[in-house]
Amino acid sequence: MKLRSFLGFSLPSAALMLLLLALPMVMTAWLSTRNCALDMQLVTVVQSGPFGPSEVTTQRARLDAAGHPVQVCSFVGADYYRKVLGLDAQANATGSDQNEFFGALRFTLLYVAATTPFVLAGGLALALAMNRVTQRLKGLFIAASLLPFIITPVVGALSIKWMFRDNGLVPHLLSGMGIELFWMAQAWSAQLLVVLYGVWHTLPFAFIVFYAGLQGVPQDSLESATLDGANAWQKLHYVTLPHLAPLVVFVTLIHLMDAYRVFEPVIVLTQGAFTTSVQVLTYQVLLLEDNPYKASAAAVLTIVGIGVLLIPLLRKTWREQRRGY
Amino acid sequence: MPTARSTRSSKLGQTLLYAGLAAWLLLAAAPVLWTVVISLRSYGDAFSAPLKWVAPLTFENYRGLWVEREFHRNFINTLIVTVSVVTISLSVGCLAGYALSRYRGSLGFWLLIIALVFRALPHSTLLPSFHALFDALGIRNTLGALVFVLVAINQPFTIWMLRSFFVGIPQELDEAAMVDGCTRLQAFRRVIIPVMWPGVVTTGLFSFLLAYNDFMLSSALTNADKMTMPAAIAGAITAESDALLMQGVAGAVSITIPLIILIAIFQKQIVSGLTQGAVKG
Repeated sequence: MKLRSFLGFSLPSAALMLLLLALPMVMTAWLSTRNCALDMQLVTVVQSGPFGPSEVTTQRARLDAAGHPVQVCSFVGADYYRKVLGLDAQANATGSDQNEFFGALRFTLLYVAATTPFVLAGGLALALAMNRVTQRLKGLFIAASLLPFIITPVVGALSIKWMFRDNGLVPHLLSGMGIELFWMAQAWSAQLLVVLYGVWHTLPFAFIVFYAGLQGVPQDSLESATLDGANAWQKLHYVTLPHLAPLVVFVTLIHLMDAYRVFEPVIVLTQGAFTTSVQVLTYQVLLLEDNPYKASAAAVLTIVGIGVLLIPLLRKTWREQRRGY
Repeated sequence: MPTARSTRSSKLGQTLLYAGLAAWLLLAAAPVLWTVVISLRSYGDAFSAPLKWVAPLTFENYRGLWVEREFHRNFINTLIVTVSVVTISLSVGCLAGYALSRYRGSLGFWLLIIALVFRALPHSTLLPSFHALFDALGIRNTLGALVFVLVAINQPFTIWMLRSFFVGIPQELDEAAMVDGCTRLQAFRRVIIPVMWPGVVTTGLFSFLLAYNDFMLSSALTNADKMTMPAAIAGAITAESDALLMQGVAGAVSITIPLIILIAIFQKQIVSGLTQGAVKG
C-alpha cells in the first residue's frame, strides 16, 4: 500500500484520536496550571426600605455586556499540584488537607497487587479444570463464566453491594457461622469488597485466554512426557506452563492497565468515604468539588503514575521482541 | 494401564473437579441471581432480618422504574448511543485497521504504538478538558458529544483488533481485485469487507459492550433526560428512600437482561474476541 492511500484510510481514525484523546490530554496539562474565578467587585446599591432609601455595599460578580459573569483566569503554576499532594503549607497548618493523591494511589496499587495473583491463579485453575470437562457441558460453563466479565461494572458492583449490605444474603450466611460484620462500615472490609469484586470481574477474562491457550499445547509433547513417566504435576510444570507463559504476560499487562483504572467498585462499595482510587479522585474533584483545575492536576499525576508503572514492562517486552522471543 | 488405585483416585478427582466448577459457577452467578430475586420483592422482604428465602412476588419495583421514573427514556438514550458508537467505530476502525494491515512503512508502526499508549490511559483524566471543550462549543450534555467521546476512546482497541483480523486475509485477494480494475477503496468494500464479516461482528460486539457498559463518561457528560441507563441508576448507589433503592435493583436487572441475551447468541464471538490479541500475539 502506498503512503498516500495509507494516510487517506487512517485519517478519520487518527483525527478522532488526535482531537478527543491527544488534544484533551494536552489541555488537561494546561488546565492544571491555571485557576479561574469570578471577578468579584464591591457595589453600592441604594435600597428603598421602610425608613427611606439606604446605601448597602455588597460583593457581586462583574457582568459582561451580554450579562454573563466575567471569569478571571490566571497562571498559578504548581499550586494545585501542591494541594493534591498535600504540600500546601496553609492547608497543612489547619490540618484540613491531607495527601489526597497519595492516598488514592496507595489504594489503587494495593488493588492492582491484591487482584493480580488471584486473577492469574484462579483463571489458570479454571482453565485447567474446564479442559477436563465433558464436551457437552463446556458451552454452558463458559457462558455462565462470562457473566461477571460482561456485566455492566456499575451493576455488578451494586449487585455485590446488595449481597453484602446489612440484612443482605452474605451477612445472613456469615451470622449463621457466628460472624457479625458490617462490610461497608469500615475501611478494611469495604476495601476487601472492592478487591473481591475485582477478582470476580476479571477472572473470566484470564480463564478464557488461558483456556484458548491450552487448546494449543502440543499433544505429542504431553504424550512423550507421559511415556517418560512424568506425573500430572510434572507435565503441568514442564510442558503446559512454559507454553502458556506469553499468555500470562499478556493477561498481566492488560489487567495492570485495567486495574489501575479501577472506578465503579470504589464509587459503589465505598462511596468514596474511606477510599478513593486515582480515577475516582479526579472524578470527585471535578464533579463534587466542581474544580476542573485541581481535577486536572490530579489527572496529570494519574497519567504520570501509569507511565511509571508501564515503562519497565514495556521495555521488557520490547527487548524480548527484539531478541526474537 | 490403569490400576485399581488410580481409577479410584481419578474418580475422586472427577468429583472434586465438578464440585470446584459448580462452586465457581455459583460464585459467578450468585450476585446476579440474588439481584433478580430481590428485584421481585418489596423492600421489607428484600432486606429483612432474618433473611427470607421465599417471599411474595411483586412487580412494583419494575412498574415504579419503567412507568413512574420513565426508564424507557434512558433505554432509548442507551440505544441511540450504542448503535451510533458501534456504527461509527466500525466504519472508521475498518478503514484504519485495513490500512495498518497493508502498509509496511514505519508510520503504521508508530500509529499502533500510540494507540497502545492511549489504550492504557485512564479515561477520567480527559474529563476536565471535555467539560471545558464541550462548554465552549455548547455541546455539553448532548448524546452526540458522548458518542464521539466513546468512539475515540474505543478506537485504539478497535484498530488493533480489526488489524489482527485483516492480517489474516491474504493480500493476493485485494491485488487480484485491483488487477481486475478496482480502485483500492472498491477492492476494500467489495472484496475484503465481505470476507472480513466475522471479524467485524466480533469487534462490533466489543464496541457495543464498551458503550453499553460505560458509567463514568456517561454520568460525567450527561444529566437529566440525556442520561443512559447505567448513569440513571447511579442514584441507587446512595439511595435514601426504599423506593429509590428498589427501583435501582429493578434497573440493574433491566440493564443485565440484554447482556445475557447477548452472551447466549454471541458466546463464540466473545470468546474469539477475548483471545484474538493473545493467541496471535
